[in-house]
Amino acid sequence: MAHLLSFTDTRTQFASPKSALLIESDESLLNAFKTFLEKEGYAVRTAANSEEGLRLYRDFRPFNVVLVDYCVPSTDGEEIDYRDSEQRHGTALAMKIREISPSQGIIIAALDYRDAREVPRPPELMNVPLLVDISDFRLPLLLEKIEVDRAMEALTPSELLRLQRFADYRIKGLGRAAVGRTWGDLLGQAMLRTLIGAGSTKEGRHWNRHVDFVWHLTGAMRSISSSWKRQFKEKEREKKKRFQMKEPLLMSEVLNGDDGQEQSPLDAESGHISSGGLWAPDALADQCLIEKDEEDRVLAMVQDDPQATQVLQGLLDGLTKNEILSTYGLREKKYAAAVMRILKLTGRGNGGSKE
Amino acid sequence: MTNTNDHHEHLERLMNQLAESVLGLSDEAVLAEPNESGTTTEQEAERTRLVLREASKAFDNVNKLLSIHGHALTSSNWRHGERGYQNNCRDCGLSVNFTVAGDVWGDALGERCAGIDLPTVGRREVSR
Repeated sequence: MAHLLSFTDTRTQFASPKSALLIESDESLLNAFKTFLEKEGYAVRTAANSEEGLRLYRDFRPFNVVLVDYCVPSTDGEEIDYRDSEQRHGTALAMKIREISPSQGIIIAALDYRDAREVPRPPELMNVPLLVDISDFRLPLLLEKIEVDRAMEALTPSELLRLQRFADYRIKGLGRAAVGRTWGDLLGQAMLRTLIGAGSTKEGRHWNRHVDFVWHLTGAMRSISSSWKRQFKEKEREKKKRFQMKEPLLMSEVLNGDDGQEQSPLDAESGHISSGGLWAPDALADQCLIEKDEEDRVLAMVQDDPQATQVLQGLLDGLTKNEILSTYGLREKKYAAAVMRILKLTGRGNGGSKE
Repeated sequence: MTNTNDHHEHLERLMNQLAESVLGLSDEAVLAEPNESGTTTEQEAERTRLVLREASKAFDNVNKLLSIHGHALTSSNWRHGERGYQNNCRDCGLSVNFTVAGDVWGDALGERCAGIDLPTVGRREVSR
């Protein structure tokens, strides 16, 4: 969210009070940016058309920041798409503002919200010395942050619980590879990657607003938990290789799990590490028993429920829903009810984020 | 070894299938499911929202701290490091790290950006 401040003129960045003029015809975008700027400490004036924008500019200048949409309509209601026409109202408006006070240390950014990432620079502005690098200004990025926050706040209780339970089962599925992480860690990480994803980084996961937000977050969680598992396996392979080569492990490898989280060498869950700090082959057998026990424990929970047992056995055998239905001659409704009973019986164990 | 992998993969597959099953449940079924912590479903839902909010706050916080010190990041340069996300100021190169839990550290937080006193117009001017 600091990009706006990061790119502002240093003479005005710490000035107080800061003022901004927003000229944007789309009311929801106007409100989104107004909220953002106000949160950043700006006193914001807004205009929905070019005449009003210019009037506010003349009456209340100087502003620290002036944001102008490329496609601001005039008061007669005519809106001209700058991409289809020589007349570009927003651009012309930005230039007019500069004409009024060409040497003033304000920031003028002409924006195009419809075309999310790259803000094209029209030829008219090529020779205008803007005080902000439009390509790095990334206002669409800020807008995306606002949109992600809004989507998060709009989640219903059932959607939130669904996300929590999804995260919890994914963590349980990781077993030792979870290395002490909880559902809260997985869900928080998915949110963070979504926010970082707004900048198109490969580490992030861009949210396409046409995709359901719950669907997006669960997709991010699948991908994150799979990458945690891969990292864990790589570390395990490395440890094993070093053991075979009789190389001592680093103390950090003994005490820290994935992501540097502390892990006791005596912890039963840490299995492969002996108290002496070396990978212990016997621990593999122990781990095998632990996991078999867990499988048996889950099956034992549903032993009095034939349909739940069938569904669970099917899942353990890697069958798909349709395969389970046909193998055991179950109807869809019975299957769903059996899944519900399994979910209730298996419970959801520990809490959320480590606080 | 094979047995270990078999059991682990069985269990993982089961848990992942259960995770997918949760997505297919009706709202009523999700809300009716009892929770072990003794809290109401509303409280549990808000607890989940808090996790999301905290992540959002962590992201805001790191950006705010950087702006206070005059640093500017290229947002597409965030990368996942050993303990969290890492980036460098594009003007002075100092680093910053943060985690989803809100921990923030790095040289950029201790020093004001060395490039901040350069003439702004010249530094920021677009020439493409």
